[in-house]
Order: sequence, then structure tokens, then C-alpha cells
Amino acid sequence: MLISTVLSEEKPALAAIPVLIVALALAPQVVAESTLITLITVLMYATLTLSWTMFSGPTGYVSLATAALFGIGVYVAALLRDGLPIELIVLVGGAVAFLVAAAIGVLTLRLRGVYFILFTFGVTALIRNTVHWWEANVSGTVGRHVTGATNGTVYLLLMILFSAALVGGFLLRHSSVGLALQAIGENQDAAEHIGIDVIRVKVLTFAASAVLIGATGAVMATRLSYIDPSIAFNPLISFLPVVMAILGGVSRLYGPLLGATLLVVLQEFLITEYPHVYLLLFGLVLVAVVLWLPGGLVVLAQRNYFRLKVRWIRLRMRISRLRRIRQASR
Amino acid sequence: MTSNTAGPLLQVRGVSHRFGGLKAVDDAAFDVHRGEIVGLIGPNGAGKTTMFNLISGALRISQGSVRFKGEDITRLRPDQISKRGLARTFQTSKLFTGMTAFDNVRLALIYGNPLRRFRYEEAERETNKLMAAMGLLSDRNKLVRDLPLASRRHLEIARAMATSAELLLLDESMAGLTPTELERSKQLVRSLRDRGLTILMIEHVMEAIMELCDRIVVFHFGHPIAEGSPAHVAADPTVRGVYLGES
Repeated sequence: MLISTVLSEEKPALAAIPVLIVALALAPQVVAESTLITLITVLMYATLTLSWTMFSGPTGYVSLATAALFGIGVYVAALLRDGLPIELIVLVGGAVAFLVAAAIGVLTLRLRGVYFILFTFGVTALIRNTVHWWEANVSGTVGRHVTGATNGTVYLLLMILFSAALVGGFLLRHSSVGLALQAIGENQDAAEHIGIDVIRVKVLTFAASAVLIGATGAVMATRLSYIDPSIAFNPLISFLPVVMAILGGVSRLYGPLLGATLLVVLQEFLITEYPHVYLLLFGLVLVAVVLWLPGGLVVLAQRNYFRLKVRWIRLRMRISRLRRIRQASR
Repeated sequence: MTSNTAGPLLQVRGVSHRFGGLKAVDDAAFDVHRGEIVGLIGPNGAGKTTMFNLISGALRISQGSVRFKGEDITRLRPDQISKRGLARTFQTSKLFTGMTAFDNVRLALIYGNPLRRFRYEEAERETNKLMAAMGLLSDRNKLVRDLPLASRRHLEIARAMATSAELLLLDESMAGLTPTELERSKQLVRSLRDRGLTILMIEHVMEAIMELCDRIVVFHFGHPIAEGSPAHVAADPTVRGVYLGES
């Protein structure tokens, strides 16, 4: 009982979220341009991973459609960049991703387990190839140019999306919908039998989590400056958030954040230091994580946190006992 | 009395269900009236659990009809049926084992309630009240996977009740209990009836069936072969034949 109360404590998150957001807002004033660029990558992956975790974390439905939703945001930006202000493009990117995700959800969320994973992967390939065919045969151009934005603008927009993902993730975890998603993940039949409209809950949450993915794609399009279907719908955008979430652990809100940050930093380090074998080393790290740390870093952190807490309680008890003895002897 | 309460609470008519070539339920028909405890018995494979799955919407009914409170629920989904006040437990418990006992009940209270959606915090009060009434408060913050069998059974009943159930389908909720636990479970079922619930229970523990039930329906090869008071059914030659091999 003590263990479960200590572990379920998420009060620190209430204080940590605003602190983190303020720190990120001040960062551009303090850090160098190169660090800002790394931070942009971190924020992008952190947002994607947090969004992915909102739905896939509690339900265990591993979605590989992230690249599709991200790519849709990228293409929305490419088509609208010269006509609309960037803030509006980001909103449109999110809205289109919402609609596409809802459609994917209706088609696939009746499937369970591995069928769902394969279908989302297939849908992503289908969308990529359809866009490719359309560009080649209808618009007559495979690549597109996207007018860039300053690093400051990109950073600011990503920071807003990231904050939304963080706050959204926190609220979802503490809402009845979050609990319902967990119930669906544990036992879908039982969830249905206590009155949860499982298809509706799944489709709506999946679509809602896609808003931030599409919006992130729209922002990142301005950094890519040249895009084509294989860049916009890069399968790594589907895989990396899954790996980051597993590395960090999905049982706590800070897990995906931790995973995304560490992997981005590791990736940058490996690319610069070992450019030829970087993917190999990266892969080895991932295998190690899955083998030895299936609950993610979160579990490691919790274990140590709990150990410290127990030690602290014991220490306090000993002190109070000593005090009582001293008082008694007086 | 409204028209809803005049007829039988649950009315099963001509329901059949096939698994491939096997007719698991064959032209089943029976009623359950308000305030009754009805037992559903029969040898293994008689189609009792399939009958539950058909009533609760876990399986789609292709033939026949089920009416609940006078309303046709034949084609409804499980979540819709649950919201109308028909709840069930499962033969092998289907609790959310990674959650606390408390969250299991709270979730049912929030989603199973047809009239007003409880807010997340409000639900907390109501959940505590229900768990206290069922004697489950000591398990409140424990993860379900850490609970012993008897507690799980009771918790699953509490979760079903939380959906503001009027009819409760209990699928072998007394199997594998110690004599003391069995006594507590029987007490619990009686108290549920006293709270105004109607109960339809599948059970192999004959002692419990004979003591608790007002009426018993006997299934054999998916078809009801006898129906009546416990004494009547126990004396029925067909039932004795099915159970004991007497001719």
C-alpha cells in the first residue's frame, strides 16, 4: 500500500510543468544558436512522443501512423506557406491531421494487437505513395520548396505545441477519459460492459492526439525548406517516438520527455562522432533498452526515488525515537 | 406503476446461437421478474455463459430477441446495454488488474451511469459510499492484481453495481471459494436483492443455488429443459437424468 501511494504521487508534475515551460520560454535569450537548433529537434520529438503516448501509452495500441500525420502537416504548410501567416498554417495542419486520424481510427480501431500496428504502418505507406503519385502525375513536381522561418519563430511555435502536449497529457492522465483508455488497454470487453463506448473513446483520443502531430509537421516544414514525400513521410518519424516512449517509459508523464531528450542528444553525438556506424550504435542502444529496461527509465527513477523515500522515513523515525528516549531520560 | 415495471424485467424469446456447426444456444426462452433471484444451471457446455454473452451484447444475436424493461435490446452494443441498467460479471474475472480497486469501481460509476455523468471528483464520494456498503473499503487503494480471489469476485460485483444496475448477471461468482468466503458471498447476494436488485446467476455450487434462488432455469444442450422452484427442479426426473444419468 505504501508503495502504491508513493508511486502514484504526481504532485511534483504540477510544479514542474510551469517551471519547465518558463525555462524553455527564456532559453532563446540565453543559449547559443547551435544549442537552439538542438533544442528545436528535442522539442519536435518530445511533442511527437508525448502525443503518441496520449493514445498508445494507456491503450497499448502501437500506432505507426505518426509519420502520416506529421507528413500531412508538412504538406499543408507547403501548399499554404505563401498565402497564410504561419500561426494559421499550424492550426490548419492540426485540423487536417485530426480529420485524417479520425478516418484512420474509424477504419482501424476495431482491429486489435498486431493487426492495428500493421494497418497504421500500411496506411502511412499508402498516403505517402498517393501523395507521390499525385505530385508526379497531377502537379508535375515531386519536390516542393517551403519558404523558411527564423529559428526563433520555429522554436517559439514548437515550444507552444510542446507545452500543449505536456498540459494536455497531464489533464488526460487525471481525467475519466484517461482512466477509460487504460481500461480499454487492460480489458476491452470489460470496458465495454461497464458502459464505455470504446470505439468512440479510441477514435476521438487518437484524432485529438493527431492535432499536435500535424501541427508539429507544419512547423517543421519551414525548417526543411525542401520537401518531397519521402522526406515528409519518413518512416523514422513513426518509429522514433515509439522507441523514445519505451526508453523513457509511458507510465509517467515525464517518461516520454526523458526518452526524447536522451535519444536526440545521443543521436546528435553519434552522428558527429561516429558518422559511419551511428545507426548501428543507435540500434544497439535501442535493443539494450528493450532487453534490460522494459518499463523505461521511469521505472529506474521510481525505484531509486522509492528507496530514498524509505530511507528518509526510516531516518525520521530514528530521530524521533532518539528524541523520545532523551525526553524520557530527563 | 409504469408500463416498464408491469411486464417481466428480462424477457428472452427464441434465442439461438451457433459456433460453426455447434448449436450452443438453441431456441432459449425464459423470463426474469423484478426482485427475483433466478438461477441458471446445467451441465458444462450447456450454453449458460453463451446465453449471458448474448444477453449482455458480447455476442451478436442472430436469431430471437431479448427485451429489458420492455425495451428491445437485441441489437444493442454492450456499453449501451450496460447504460440501461443491465450489468454482468465474468466467469474468469475481467477486472482492470493494473488499477486500484477504487478506480475499477469509479470508472464504472462514471461511464455506466445513464442519467448523469458523474464528474471525476464527485464520483470519488459515490465510489466510497458503494465500496463501504459492500465491505470493500479495506481494499480501496490496493492494485487488483494484489487482491485474493474472493475480494476480486466481490469487487467485480461492486463494479457491475456501480453502473446503476437493476439486473445483475453473475457468472459463477462463488466457484472456488472457501466455506467462510462462500457464506459471505451468499450474504452479499441477499443484501443486493434487499437493495432492490434483480439477479440472474449461473452457479455450480448447488448449496448456494438451493438456498438463494426463488426460481431455477435448467439448461441442457443450449435449451431450457426445466424451470421452477428449487424443490420442484430438484425433484424433476428430467433434471435428475441430465445431472445424475438416471433414466
